[in-house]
Amino acid sequence: MSITDLIYLSQKSLRSNILRSILTSLGIIIGVSSVITMISIGSGARIEVEQQIERFGSNNLIVRSQSSSNRGVSMGANSVNTLTLKDMEALKEELPAIKAIAPRVSLSTQIVANGNNWLATVTGTTNDYFDLGNWKFENGRSFEEEELASGSRVAIIGKTVQKNLFDNDSPIDEVIRINKVPFTVIGLLDAKGGTAWADLDDTVIVPLKTAKQRLVAKKFPGDQIRSMTINVRSSDLLFKTEKDVDTVMRKLHKISANGNPDFVIRNYAQFLNARQESSRVMSILLATVAGISLIVGGIGIMNIMLVTVTERTKEIGVCMSVGAKKRDILLQFLIESLMISLIGGLIGIALGLGVIFGVSEYFKWKMSLDYMSIVLSFVFSSSIGIIFGFYPARKAANLNPIDALRYE
Amino acid sequence: MININSLSKEYIMGDNKLLALDNIDLSINEGDFVSIMGSSGSGKSTLMNIIGCLDAPSSGEYHFRDNNVSTLNSNKLAELRNKDIGFVFQNFNLLPRLNAQENVVLPLLYSGKNLKERNQLAIEALESVGLKDRVHHKPNQLSGGQQQRVSIARAIAGSPKLILADEPTGALDSKTGLEIMKILNDLNAKGITIVLVTHEDDIANYGSRIIKMKDGKILEDKKNVNN
Repeated sequence: MSITDLIYLSQKSLRSNILRSILTSLGIIIGVSSVITMISIGSGARIEVEQQIERFGSNNLIVRSQSSSNRGVSMGANSVNTLTLKDMEALKEELPAIKAIAPRVSLSTQIVANGNNWLATVTGTTNDYFDLGNWKFENGRSFEEEELASGSRVAIIGKTVQKNLFDNDSPIDEVIRINKVPFTVIGLLDAKGGTAWADLDDTVIVPLKTAKQRLVAKKFPGDQIRSMTINVRSSDLLFKTEKDVDTVMRKLHKISANGNPDFVIRNYAQFLNARQESSRVMSILLATVAGISLIVGGIGIMNIMLVTVTERTKEIGVCMSVGAKKRDILLQFLIESLMISLIGGLIGIALGLGVIFGVSEYFKWKMSLDYMSIVLSFVFSSSIGIIFGFYPARKAANLNPIDALRYE
Repeated sequence: MININSLSKEYIMGDNKLLALDNIDLSINEGDFVSIMGSSGSGKSTLMNIIGCLDAPSSGEYHFRDNNVSTLNSNKLAELRNKDIGFVFQNFNLLPRLNAQENVVLPLLYSGKNLKERNQLAIEALESVGLKDRVHHKPNQLSGGQQQRVSIARAIAGSPKLILADEPTGALDSKTGLEIMKILNDLNAKGITIVLVTHEDDIANYGSRIIKMKDGKILEDKKNVNN
């Protein structure tokens, strides 16, 4: 008896009980849709983390000024600038794990060019800033040593600024006025896109010295800076270096080990880990739901197949009397339970895709559809069908022909 | 064709042993039309089930053609039932979900005939029992006589050597019953051996040999002079 014949006979008996077949596959439907959702949440989170690393650079620590607070009463993050270029040099010298440090001063101000007005964040920094932040140039160049040293009025702008001031025309060699000071645009950065809280492309970057002299002389007097991005040589050293930076900074700022620091160290990897961890917890939860419903679904199939075998005992006897071998009966019932679980699998895949689509649309959650998860679901549901269908099928196949035939 | 030597079959029901067949010797030749008669509990159905390889004896030997049936495994028995034996039951035993043609095709499915061949054979079998215009009807759309004819068509579709009919007219009115007997008679005329189980004298009279059973023993075995 060929497989097509078996499938033909099986679908015939499944169709005669269509509601029962679908109800039976409910467990599989829920299980498979959970598997698909789980996998795509997991891979979505992974992709998001990879994108974040791509955007912000990996192995970076950010040290920022922070007014020392008294029992939770903060003076506001911007009120005092406690970091200096001396701190930066000292850190570089003391900690060999540090590969590079990009200092940063910043202000939010009006930019005028081409008859257009735009409010943007202006950053004063060095060329390390581009490497550490994973910035790429769409056009133009970074600063030259001479420009950094002399405090030239040159600027590099992000895509959002370009769009609003130059309407997507090339901004290179154009003049923009930052706080009424004219700057020549020498570079255009590649788009990075936005995060949930900021548009990264809404940026203007000028040499540190130029910014301190001409834009933020009052806000950041002397060698004060707003923050620095520290790049660590390898990710293994990240957490140790974070501690070391804390120790060195406390020593420089004369703060005891348990005193309130006037700086804060942000470890971006921490944030990413938390994000990954929460999606991992979500995945475990879904995996549990999936596992339980697949097993319950499998037991449901077994249950219904046992009922079917009993109901059709006489029919099995008839088939045996006209020459069905044990193997034929076994295969027919196995294929029936396989078909129930595969139909459940298909509906589950459709439902899972719907959930993925709905969640990513509604919650703006990144979900990535993994084609492996569809293959996996097929394998899952068909093995459930075979495993849980085997016992009833074997029971049918082992019936004694005459007992089956006489069964009423 | 059939050789049975000191064959017994006992059933154990709780503490009681029931001897359904008691040391039976019987041989049936190719082309015979044998009627087995007896009241219920006489062992006639048990004997037929053993002849049809549906049931195994407790002791004794059974040879069917060249096979020592008691030594065969379940696959080999299924093959015998499939190729050499056709069953006609009292209550037809058709599969309700399948139409007439599909029911007749069933044994051909198990013998692995290809689609074209088995449909051809099924149609021919249905034609030969006069149901050419009923091939796509489901059993519940057919009368009792028509259903029994479908089951005869199923029995002969694989061209068996032996047809076992267990009270084939038991569920039919006498006129329809006679039609069925005529079909069986015609099949016998074509050389197919027929073993018929019945408790009605006029049905048994179609046989060329009548065996009477009682309490698991053969009471009488004689040529039918009326036939």
